[in-house]
Parts: sequence; C-alpha cells; structure tokens
Amino acid sequence: MSDITLYHWEPNANSGKPMLALMEKGVVFNSHYIDMLQFDQHKPEYLAINPQGTIPAMTHGTRVLVESTAIMEYVNEEFAGPELMPANVEDRWRVRWWMKFMDQWLAPSFSMIGWSVSVGPMVRKRDLAELEAAIDRIPMPERRISWRKAIYGTFSEAEMAESQRRVALGVRLLEEELGKREWLASDEYSLADINGFNLAYALPLSQPHLSNDELTPNILRWLRAIYARPAVKKCWALGRTDMAKRVSILEKEHI
Amino acid sequence: MATVLYHGEPNGPSLSVLAALAETGLDIECRSIDLLAGERHSLPGLGETIARDMGIEGEGPVLVVDGEAMTESVFLAQYLDEKAGGVGLQPSDPYAHWEMMMWCRQITERLSPAAALLGNLKYSTPRLAETSDADFAVIGKNIVSDDLRGRWGLVRSGTTEEAQLADSRAKVVQSVERCENKLADGRDWLMGDFSIADLETYAWLAGMQLICPDAFGDAPKTKAWLARVKARPSVVAALARSTVADPLESWAPGPEINRWG
Ligand SMILES: N[C@@H](CCC(=O)N[C@@H](CS)C(=O)NCC(=O)O)C(=O)O
Repeated sequence: MSDITLYHWEPNANSGKPMLALMEKGVVFNSHYIDMLQFDQHKPEYLAINPQGTIPAMTHGTRVLVESTAIMEYVNEEFAGPELMPANVEDRWRVRWWMKFMDQWLAPSFSMIGWSVSVGPMVRKRDLAELEAAIDRIPMPERRISWRKAIYGTFSEAEMAESQRRVALGVRLLEEELGKREWLASDEYSLADINGFNLAYALPLSQPHLSNDELTPNILRWLRAIYARPAVKKCWALGRTDMAKRVSILEKEHI
Repeated sequence: MATVLYHGEPNGPSLSVLAALAETGLDIECRSIDLLAGERHSLPGLGETIARDMGIEGEGPVLVVDGEAMTESVFLAQYLDEKAGGVGLQPSDPYAHWEMMMWCRQITERLSPAAALLGNLKYSTPRLAETSDADFAVIGKNIVSDDLRGRWGLVRSGTTEEAQLADSRAKVVQSVERCENKLADGRDWLMGDFSIADLETYAWLAGMQLICPDAFGDAPKTKAWLARVKARPSVVAALARSTVADPLESWAPGPEINRWG
C-alpha cells in the first residue's frame, strides 16, 4: 500500500499531468478515479480533500496537494527517479514559462472548446432537474457559470471565436518553439513536455485543419516521441472513456 | 553572457524582480524603461521574443539573456535565486516549495489582475488619455499580442463595468485577509522564512493602500508586515531606482481577468 493517492479523472488535461509525472518517476500510487461527468468532484467525500471541487488532487501521508502543475513540481522534487527539470537555469525558467503560458492562456481556450463540443453534449442528455441540483452543489461560483454554459450550450459566439483564435495561434507558437530544440523547453524531456502532451495529444484529431504532418511536423514529431515512452502507455491505460483512446491517433504513420 | 534587466518603476512585477535581484547580489545591468510609453515593445538586441510578446503578466520586466527575452516576475525571481546558487528565496523542502508556489499563484492569478485593473484606471488612464491617437497607434503597432493590445486600449479608454470594479476590490480584500491569516501566528514572513512570496505579494499589495485603504482597516499584522518588507535592504534598493515621486502610482497594463475557469 502506498501512502500516495492521486484523485484524477481521465489521463487528459489537468488530471493527466500528475498521473504522467508519477509514472515517469516510477512512483507507486493509489489511483482514485473521479468521474467528472458524474460530478464526483463535487461530492462531500471529495470536497473533504479539495474544497474547491476541482480535480486533480493528491495526498501524500497527511499532506494534501492541489493544482496540477504545482503537484508535478512537488512530485519531481520529492521522489527519487528520473529528473524532470533540467539543471541549466535558463532552461528551468523556460520550463516554468511554457507551463504558465499553457495553463493560463492556451489550455483555457482548448478547454472552452472541449466543454462546448464534447463535455456539454455528453452530460446534457440527463434529467434537467438532476443536473440543476448538481450545479447547485458546485462550490465555486465561476464553475457554476461554466457548467451552465456547457450544459445549456450558451457559450457566446465572441468567446468561442476568441478561443479558436488562441488555439490557432497557440498551435503556431508551439510548432515554432519545437522547431528550435528537441523538446519543448530544453534539450531534455521535462515537466513542460508532460504538461504539453496532456494539452495536445489529440490535437491532430480535434483540430485537423491546424495540426497534421504537413502543417505542424515538429508538433507531430514531438507528440509521437512522447507517445513512445513506456510511462505514457501505462498512464493512458488508466483511461476509461473514448476520450483517452484518442491518443492512438499517434500510432498512424501519417496524419 | 550579456544580461540586461529592463524594468519599469519599482511597483508591481518590476519591484519584485528588482528586489529579488538585490537579494541575490548578482551583478546584472538594470535599465529603466517607460512602460506606459510602450518602450518594452521596442527593446534592442532581442532574438527570442515570445516571452516578451505573449507573457501572461502583461507589462512586467524583461530580463534579456543572450538575446532571449525572459518574463514573469515569479519565475525571474526563481531564476535569479538559482543563478546565484540558491540564496534562500525559495524553500528547499518540496512541500514548503509547493506551498510557496501555490501562494504566488494566488497572487498572480487573483490579486494581480485586480490590482492592475484598479491601479491602471486611477493612474494610467489619465496619462494615456493625453496621448494623441497617432502616438498611441505607434505603441499599438509594436505590440505583437492582440489581447495585450486590447488591454492597452481598455486602459486608455477607461472602460470597465461596475461589477468588475467590485470584484477587483473584493479580491484585494481577500488577499489582505489571506495575509492576515498567514501572519496570525506571529510569524515575520508569509511562508515562515523570507521568500519570493513576500516580494511578489508586497509588490502587488503595497499600491492598494492608496486605492483601497479600507481593505487594510482591520489588518494590523498585514500593515506591520508591509512595513517590514519595505524596510528590507533589497526593497529599499529597488525603490531607490524610482525616477518618479511615488512609484506606487506607476502602473502599466497587467494580466487579463480570467476568461474561463
Ligand atoms: N488549475 C487547476 C484546475 C483544475 C481543474 O479545473 N480541473 C478540471 C478538470 S481538467 C475540473 O475539475 N473540472 C470539473 C469542475 O470544475 O467541476 C489545476 O491545474 O489543477
């Protein structure tokens, strides 16, 4: 029995970051699946761990940690195993810069599109009174608004267009950056790659007009190189929905 | 290695980085620029510009190392600490380090957009309103990011909604409350030992004393802590670089207010 428990949903976005970091370090942990689509993250048992009602969260002994990127940094510093931060100080800065840029600028736009085209429709089919009751249990007011928009499909055209603009620009910037070196932020595989893979692994499927072997060869090279890592295979095997299965697109020789 | 720190008046992110630099004792050339004149967007000798152009922080300082623009005040402070071989600005224990990073994230994600909105409305809007359309267009032309240019436009026009102002003031109040709670056990510094968290929090909160004085009414420990940070030799040295009467009145477009989760 490990004294580490990770509360996570699919290997995807924020949940997938600490999952993959733990796998890369070779840390044994208890996996506690939180079904986001059943609103497990707002149930009292989970709110006792993370009162914000968002996933992921990790417990290590009596310590409770939240915030996916910060958890990855903790995992890297606390446990033995391969180093996931470069030693060079400029490279370390670049890893942090790219993680913040992805977490705060690029990922929210990906996420808005994902909630609008997939999360919303998956949940919408259920009984509306039940859904309203579920929304009322969400602790953060901002999230209540987001869930309402997803369930009722009421994202404005302007906010969707802005998200699309950011995703298109972000893909271009990623492609340029990956043309400069082998990995995203340094010459070594790092937390920035783990973060970026969780954001972009299904990019050639979700945004085929923006990312494919012709348009973004560097992104595709990078995604395939990460997909080839044993830790990634182990991590994505913990997925239970079709969402995680999308990763197999990277097995195609030409996309 | 050619290294230059381009910074604005010692307030907000420029203050935290200048003070962090002074804490490390590193010998790095500092050049003061006029952020509200758009000078950050026409720096000489840049090869890699993405961090200057797309940084979340907005008009923060830019550290140029061998032509690469480096930004984001917390990460620059970490860089300087690590470059100097670790002068104690970050806890070495992984859990304490996580706590410090979480604290700084609260400040940069919640307090700094709110403080920047309030500070800019009060001090930058009048100045930019005096800038001619032609001069403002020149500044805008040099700004690569559409969303940052949009924030400049909002500052110049002074457009905000009452709800956003109220939300920003509430975030300042919450930040003061969080400080007061942290300091409740009588500690001198937010994380126990002095750290980047003190510099980053001070840098965004100090100016709020002029704008939201009521937020500090019931916060004696926070006020005493602000005075302690202000008296640190590194902060004194950073403030001495000011070229204006009161640097707390110097603001420039900051981070955006979260648009989604
Ligand atoms: N900044 C946090 C965000 C966590 C977060 O928002 N997670 C999403 C899933 S990727 C979530 O919990 N959504 C469900 C909800 O808000 O109800 C992190 O990186 O850990």
